[in-house]
Amino acid sequence: MTFLLECKKAKRIGFYPALIGSSILAAAIPILNIIIRGEIDVTASKSPLQGLLGANWQLMTMLNILFIAASASLLYHTEYADNAMQKLYTLPIHEGSVFYGKTLFISVMSLLTLTVEFSALAFCSYYWYTPENSFILELCQNFGYSLLLLLPCVVLALLISEFCQSMWMSLGICVVCVFIATMLPTDQFLLSLFPFALPFQMLDTAQTVPYLCAACTELLILIVTEKIAVKIRRSIS
Amino acid sequence: MNFLSLVSIEFKKIRRSKILLIFFVSSVILWLPSVLNAHLNFEMQAEGISPEHNFMIQGFMGMAWFMFPASMVVGTVLLSQTEITNRGIQKMLTLPISTAKLCMAKFVVLTTLAAVQILIMTGMYYISAAICQRMLDYPFLLSPLFIAKEIGMLFLSSIPMLAVFWMLSALIQTPIFSVGIGLASIVPSVFINNTKLWYCYPISYPFFVITSEYGKLAEHIDTAQVSLFPWIPVALFLTVAAVGISCRYFGHAERK
Repeated sequence: MTFLLECKKAKRIGFYPALIGSSILAAAIPILNIIIRGEIDVTASKSPLQGLLGANWQLMTMLNILFIAASASLLYHTEYADNAMQKLYTLPIHEGSVFYGKTLFISVMSLLTLTVEFSALAFCSYYWYTPENSFILELCQNFGYSLLLLLPCVVLALLISEFCQSMWMSLGICVVCVFIATMLPTDQFLLSLFPFALPFQMLDTAQTVPYLCAACTELLILIVTEKIAVKIRRSIS
Repeated sequence: MNFLSLVSIEFKKIRRSKILLIFFVSSVILWLPSVLNAHLNFEMQAEGISPEHNFMIQGFMGMAWFMFPASMVVGTVLLSQTEITNRGIQKMLTLPISTAKLCMAKFVVLTTLAAVQILIMTGMYYISAAICQRMLDYPFLLSPLFIAKEIGMLFLSSIPMLAVFWMLSALIQTPIFSVGIGLASIVPSVFINNTKLWYCYPISYPFFVITSEYGKLAEHIDTAQVSLFPWIPVALFLTVAAVGISCRYFGHAERK
């Protein structure tokens, strides 16, 4: 139920046009990149898709996590701005369900964004290169991997927004987190486990399984942290 | 009410916003890796840049690329949202003050926030350079005059960018668009700096200026240099236009 409510709330803050805009912008990156630079040389990488991801994924991810950060702080801002949160607390629903509703909502929205982006990558692969037969499978694997690595970032952004009532604080902290993520080296395993840095990873590394496990563990840890933090906040206030 | 007292009122409004904390944390995060990797600065001598200049310029580039514009977007959110929540802006608009003046006062606060962030970053630079000097026994500290010139240029080149961000937040009522467009506009600035028409894109100015300084300091690295024409006329025009538009439309939605 909260998921449907979130959809309605998001509609009123103009979320969907912004989502479409950011998806199209991110999807335009690989296409524009090829048009401006001429064809990208993908002979060095395993497949056209890997070559395209290598050339564009940094910028696309940057847009994705910035969008997640902005939308997470806005979704909570709408609740805090006119004290809607206090009214929500009086309803016969679990306090955490607002958080889960929002998490599910942004995750589904990220899925849509990634779908648009990977369609653009597929378009580039078919239009400018000749992909192999296993291309669809490879595309799906990359898609699932990117989606899973994006989820810890979604949960952390929402967690920050839940505990900062003013929008500039939550947005500011998220922006600082994005900044940290851009500073961290992507080739060092432990440092790249920072939730905002995880989405920058691509499937072509040999460390797929460790990253997947790490993403799942982070999700669990973040959700447990949220539960504990909500309990502490309730006992203090 | 004169303009100065308006500006001081605007400062009072953001007094408890804790925005300086975000500036401070971002500066610490900016310089921490530079201090940890200070020895790498010596390897850049092959490019014809001295270690102390390399230390300084790499940090400044790191900030001018993303953190500085992004925290200015956060600053516009701060300035607009403190009043939109609890309808403070409607009360301000009922006062006998011209809205253009009110808008300009807020813009002055925004530029001051930019200056404060640059100063905090410079302070952190001196602290981290002093630490490196101790650690590696090499003079990392640069003359204050040189640093003052660099940060002065950074600040001046950021004013058009601030005007554009401020225009976005005054024009667009839905915060997700003003914030989203602001943040998204930072991402392509690296691309745009490599084109000939970089001067049409105010958001990339600070990064362009710092990158061109890098090219000046490093003998073997060629970066695009600042050419004052047509940059200055275009930048002036864009700034005046952006500030004019934001003054014209400030509080437009509330007055309807």
